[in-house]
Amino acid sequence: MARMKFLCDIERCIACNGCVVACKEGHQLPTGIYRRRVIIINEGRPGEHSISIACMHCSDAPCIAVCPTGALYQREDGIVLVSKDVCIGCGYCFMACPFGAPQFPRGNAFGARGAMDKCTFCAGGPAPTFSEKERRLYGQNRIAEGKVPLCAGMCSTKALLAGDGAVIADIFRARVAKRGSGVAWGWSRAYKD
Amino acid sequence: MKKLAFSLLLIIVPAAVLAAGLLRIPATVSTTEIFRTFNPVITDAWAREGREFITKVNSFKNYYGILLAGLPLVFLVHYVVFGPKKFPESGEKVFYYGAFLRLVHWGAALTMSLLVLSGLAVVFAKFLGGGALVLKLRAVHVGAAFSFVPFGVLLFLLLLKDMLPAPYDLKWFLVLGGYLWRRQRPVPAGKFNAGQKLWFWLGTVGGIVMFYTGYTLYQFKAPVSVLRQYLVIHLSLGLAVFGLFLIHLYMSLLAVKGALRSMISGYKDREEVAYMHPKYYEKLKP
Repeated sequence: MARMKFLCDIERCIACNGCVVACKEGHQLPTGIYRRRVIIINEGRPGEHSISIACMHCSDAPCIAVCPTGALYQREDGIVLVSKDVCIGCGYCFMACPFGAPQFPRGNAFGARGAMDKCTFCAGGPAPTFSEKERRLYGQNRIAEGKVPLCAGMCSTKALLAGDGAVIADIFRARVAKRGSGVAWGWSRAYKD
Repeated sequence: MKKLAFSLLLIIVPAAVLAAGLLRIPATVSTTEIFRTFNPVITDAWAREGREFITKVNSFKNYYGILLAGLPLVFLVHYVVFGPKKFPESGEKVFYYGAFLRLVHWGAALTMSLLVLSGLAVVFAKFLGGGALVLKLRAVHVGAAFSFVPFGVLLFLLLLKDMLPAPYDLKWFLVLGGYLWRRQRPVPAGKFNAGQKLWFWLGTVGGIVMFYTGYTLYQFKAPVSVLRQYLVIHLSLGLAVFGLFLIHLYMSLLAVKGALRSMISGYKDREEVAYMHPKYYEKLKP
């Protein structure tokens, strides 16, 4: 079975934050919930680079390891999902995650944390596929529709790749082989055809 | 001719060097090198402490389980082999706990019981199936923590004088409070024995640490590295509180006959004071 993966080509990412906006709008996420975010290093200086980060859907996911409720689970295709009906919002997964992927909605009485929200790889959740409950709790289920995750689908420079790990690795490998390493920066390095 | 060539060389070589410097293409930075810069920004302290944190947090469930299953078993064996402490009743009573102290004690007892039960619910959330039930119990945990504070503070102020460590406390620990004696002998203890003192200090000073770490974990506004440390502290100290909570329960309800009654009425049998709190008993005698 295909193993789903994200890959962000840092030579192409221009930190437009399109992926972030697409994710937030596509899944109608409340303010303060960032399933995906863009991280920039050396901003405004030589060597500036950016990367788009979300849940990495780890093989040996730390969040699943520490979850005291068993709300987190991994699908056969590697996508890590959370059941919001089981999650108690304790936040252990956030502390165990290397990427800060788990998010918690605010605004409940006394500032209590609700159930955890994170990137679903646009694969919905444990609720029945295409059900109203699934859309409300987890957002769109584009994987079930046969579509690529929204962030990768709209990425204007095609820096963000998502899908079968073997396929996107091949795409990336071909890109690296084409652009070589003779030129340090510029259009020809990133988009040479 | 030679001279001309030499002077041309003198100009051309430095000019070429200068031009090469100006037109120099910046050194290529490998992707691996760039990711090396990204890593600390994205993963923060995870590389140093992540794995250890996961192992530690997961091990706590076992420790709590051992206490939950093991201590009652130890109590059962103790009850069967050594039996509870009983004292000959002469009918003479000693006034031991004031009305206000008893009230504060039961307030603290109620909120502490809620804290322990709701805390256990989070540790054993999988067993309870998680979801709305445990989510509500987490809210109870927070509410009980805030309710415990006034009782904890009052208990601290009311009992501090009698809870200060004394030299004979060490002896009390060495003889395990005399709970493994079959014969009735006075144990080295003042108004409160060393075990009660340990419970007192853990409940009050430990309570401050529990409250602070718990509140930070509830607010979730500290850096993730701090949250990781606080969770491990909260779970470790919680383990100690849970253990002493169970011991306190066993002692007061089963192991020492009359202990529960004394916290309700305020009076202890003269004999119980003479055997269990002899240093205090001496002071009582005129």
